[in-house]
Amino acid sequence: MCMINQQPLITLSAIREDKLDMLKTRLETIRVNLLNSQMAEAPTEFGKVGTLHYGRWIILSRDSFRDEPAVPVGIRLVLSTNYDAIGNDHLDYHLTELVTKLTTYIDDVYECCVGYPEQGERTEESRKNFLKKGIIRTSAFYNGAPGRSVEQIHQEDALHQHIWKFLTSNKWNEQTPAVEIHRAIRQEIDARPEFAWTKEKAGVQGIKWLPLIAYGALFLILLPLIIVWLIYLFIFHELWDKKVTLAQSGLDDTRINELKKVEDVFPQNQFTQVAVLKPGFARHLNFRIWMMRTEVLASLVFVKGKLLNIPTIHFARWVLIDKNNHVLFFSNFDGNWEQYLGDFIDQSGWGLTSIFSNTIKFPRTNFMGVLGIIPGMPLTFPGTKFVLTGGAYDEEHFLAWSRSTQLPTQVWYCPYRHLSIKNINNNTNIRNGLRENLNEEQAKIFLKRF
Amino acid sequence: MTELELSEIQAFLLNEYKEMGCSKYYLMQVKDAAATKIFLATVAHGITHASATITRTCLNIGFTSNGLKQLGYHETNMHSFSREFREGMVTEHRQRLLGDFDSSDPSKWQWGGPANERIDLMMMVFGKDEATAGDFYQELKEKFEPALSVVHVLDGKPLPNNREHFGFRDGLSQPVIKGSGFKPSGNNNDIDPGEFVLGYKNEYNVYPDTALLKVAQGKPELLEDNAEGLADEQTNIKYKDVGQNGTYFVLRQLQQDVNGFWGFLKNQTAAGADEKTRNEEATMLAAKMMGRWPGGAPLVKYDKDPGIDVVDDNFNYLKEDASGDKCPFGAHIRRVNPRDVFEESPQKVSLNLTRRHRIMRRVRSYGEDFIGSAANHQPNGEVGLLFGCFNANISKQFEFIQYTWANSPKFKRLYADPDPFIGVREDPEKKLQQIFTIPQSTTNRVITDMQSFVTVKGGGYFFFPSITVIKFLATI
Repeated sequence: MCMINQQPLITLSAIREDKLDMLKTRLETIRVNLLNSQMAEAPTEFGKVGTLHYGRWIILSRDSFRDEPAVPVGIRLVLSTNYDAIGNDHLDYHLTELVTKLTTYIDDVYECCVGYPEQGERTEESRKNFLKKGIIRTSAFYNGAPGRSVEQIHQEDALHQHIWKFLTSNKWNEQTPAVEIHRAIRQEIDARPEFAWTKEKAGVQGIKWLPLIAYGALFLILLPLIIVWLIYLFIFHELWDKKVTLAQSGLDDTRINELKKVEDVFPQNQFTQVAVLKPGFARHLNFRIWMMRTEVLASLVFVKGKLLNIPTIHFARWVLIDKNNHVLFFSNFDGNWEQYLGDFIDQSGWGLTSIFSNTIKFPRTNFMGVLGIIPGMPLTFPGTKFVLTGGAYDEEHFLAWSRSTQLPTQVWYCPYRHLSIKNINNNTNIRNGLRENLNEEQAKIFLKRF
Repeated sequence: MTELELSEIQAFLLNEYKEMGCSKYYLMQVKDAAATKIFLATVAHGITHASATITRTCLNIGFTSNGLKQLGYHETNMHSFSREFREGMVTEHRQRLLGDFDSSDPSKWQWGGPANERIDLMMMVFGKDEATAGDFYQELKEKFEPALSVVHVLDGKPLPNNREHFGFRDGLSQPVIKGSGFKPSGNNNDIDPGEFVLGYKNEYNVYPDTALLKVAQGKPELLEDNAEGLADEQTNIKYKDVGQNGTYFVLRQLQQDVNGFWGFLKNQTAAGADEKTRNEEATMLAAKMMGRWPGGAPLVKYDKDPGIDVVDDNFNYLKEDASGDKCPFGAHIRRVNPRDVFEESPQKVSLNLTRRHRIMRRVRSYGEDFIGSAANHQPNGEVGLLFGCFNANISKQFEFIQYTWANSPKFKRLYADPDPFIGVREDPEKKLQQIFTIPQSTTNRVITDMQSFVTVKGGGYFFFPSITVIKFLATI
C-alpha cells in the first residue's frame, strides 16, 4: 500500500532594502507568467517540481501587520511550500528539487535577499544552505488528503475522468445491475496499461484511535486544571479586553483591493494572515495550549478532509515567528473568502477563537469561545441571560478582523487548482473501490461517485 | 421578539405587491442636487411604508452610492456603507464572483455598466394597471423634473400564476422576517430581521454592518442612535445610524432564451420517439434542473409531474433524498436553498447555516406575457426576468448564493456542475466541461456541454433607506 506523507516547509529570508523594488517586480513577473500558463493550460515552471503541492512567496514587512508588532520586524521574504516527503532526508530532497528545478526563479528571487551566494558561488549546496538557514518550525499543520502525493492526485484525477467518460459515453440498460457495471468499469481499466497503478490500493489514513483515547484521557485528567485556567484567564485577562468595533466597512480600501485583485480566478484560493500575540506570559502560554490541541487533533482526527469541521481546506498551518510574538497562518481552500470565513464561524468558531483570541484586537471573547463547542451555536447557560458569544461568533467584527490581518500573497501556486478537496478524496475512494468485491448496494454507492 | 418599525421600512421589502399589475422602475440621474432634496422632502410622505394600506399605487425609492455622492453625502460617512454597495455591481473582482462574462459582460449592458449613463437613484412605481401607474408617474414627474432625469426605464409585471418565462412557478420559498407581523411560515423560512433590515440582530445574533453617520451633516437630530451602541472614541457620543430600518436591494435584468432552453432539452431526448414523449422527457429534464415541476411541485415529493400548480415549501433533503435520486444536487432550488443539507453538517446545524444565506426575492418579468413549455417555446421578442432581492449584507447573501452555490461547479461533491440556470458560463475556461448530473439508481444520467440561456443585461446595488432617512437625506 503506497503512502507518501506531506510536509510543510517555511523559510524566511531578509530582503535587501536596495533590492526590494526589484524583488517586487520579479515576483509580479513570476505571478503573471504563472497565471498566463495556467490560463492557457500550458506547463508551468513550478510544475517541474513534481512533488510540490502548494507554494507561495510573501513579502512580510511592517506594512503587513495591521497592529504594532511586538518586536521590531525587518523586511522578509517568506517561502512556504507543502511537499511530498521522499527519501530519508525528505527536507533535503525537497530543497534539492527546488534549487535544481526552479534554479532561475530561486536565483532571481533570492539574489534580492541578504546573504544569498554571489553569482560565481552558486551551487546546489550553497543555494540549499541559504534556504536552510531561514527555516522555521511549523507549529500546527493540517493536510486535507493525507498520503496523497501530487502524482497520485493527478493519476486519480485521470482515472476519475476516464471512468466518467466511459460511463457517460455508453448506453446502460436501466435493468443492468450496478455490480455488472462495476465489473465493466474494472475490465475497461484493466485493459489500459496507463492505469496499471490502480492494482495497488491507496493508503488512506484513518483516525488514530489509541493516541486519541490517550489524549482524551489526558484531557480529562487535566480538565479541572483547564477549567481553573479558563476562569483565571476570564477574570484577569478577557474581562479587561477592549471591545472591538471595526466592521468590514471600516477596512482599508487599498489593501482590500490588492487582496481581491488575485482572488477567485480559480475555484481554489489562498489565505495568508499575520497577527500579533497579546503581551504577557498567560496569553502566550494559552496560545500554545490551544495550538498544541489543534496540532494533536490535526494529526489524529482531522485526517479525512475536514479541519475543525471545515470541509474545504487542502492544507493549513500556523507558524510562530519573531521569538513567538507573531503568528502566521496559511491556508489553501476551495471556494471564495466569504464562504471560507463563514465556514470558520459556522463550523469551528470555538476552535479558531481559542487560538486567535490570544492575538491583539481579536473580537472580545468569553472563555475563548471554547465552551461554545456546539458548532455555530452560542451557548446559553440555562435560566440565565449569560450567552457565550464573542470571538468568531461576533460575525461582523470577526470578518473585519480576518480581512484586516490578511496580507497580500505575491506568488501562489497549486498544481491541481481544478480539484476540490472533496474531489481528491472522492477520487481515492473510486480508485480503492474499483477492485473491491462489491455487493449491489455498495456498487450503487460506488457509481454515485461519478 | 423585536418588533420591526414598520412605518419606517419601505414596504417592498415586506410586501411583494402581488396585486400590482404594473411595475415600472425608473433609473434616474440627479441633475440638480438642491432641487432633488426638495423633491425628496415632499415625496418622503408618499413612499409606501410597511404599515401603509395598499390601494391602487405604490412607490419606493432606492439610491446607488453615486446617488448619495451627488446629494453631497460626506465621503467619511459614505465609507461606513458596505463595500459592495459603495463599489457597485461592476468591479473586476465582482465580475469574476458574479460570473458576468461574454454576452453578460458589464461593458455590453443596457444600463448600469461602464458604457452606460450613471445611475443615481431608482424610483419604483407600481400601479394596479398600466393606466394607474402611468397617471401616478405623471404626478411624480411634475414634482421631480427638472431636478432629476430618467436614464432608463424597466417595465415589469408578474406573469399569470406567478410563472416565469421558462415556464416555472416562481417565488415559492420566501423568508418571513421575524417581528414583521407576518404569519410565521415554519420550515426554516422564519429569519431574524437583521438578515434583511439594518439596525436589528441577524442570524448570528449580532448587528449587521450599518451606515453610521461619522461626520455630522444635515439634520442628524432626525436620526436615531445606532442600535449596537457604537460611539466616537474621543467624545463617547453615539453615532447616528443612517442604515436603521434601511436595506440593500440587488437588481439584475436577466434575459431568458426560452427557445434555446427548451430546444436544448429536446435535443437531449430520445430521438425517434413521438413528439409527446419527447416533450414529457424534456419537461422531466427541466424539472430535474429546477428541482420543481413547472407547476411548483417539489421533486422530493412528486416523482411524476402532477400537471397542476402546487404551492408547497414544506420539505427537506436529508431524510427524503440524501442520494439526490429525486432532486439532483445540482438542481437550482437545491443549490440556492440547501435546507437541511448544508455541506455535511448535522441537520439542525445545516438549517441554522442555511438561514444565514437567504434573500428576499422580488422579481418581475418583462417582455411578452409568455410562459414557455416543451411544446411551446418561441416568444415574440426579448423576454426576461427583472431579478431583485433585498438583503442586509450583499456579500454574505446575494453574492454568496450566486458565487458559492450557483456558479461554483464544485458545489458539494460535484466536479463540473454549475447551476443549470444562472451558473453556466457561455465560454468557459479551456478544457473545462460544464455538465449537469442527474443521479439515478445505478448510473447517473449526465447532460454534457451545458449552455447558458440567461444573459445579464444590466444591474446595480441600491440602498433603500427608511422613510426618516429619506427626510434626513433631504437636509444634507
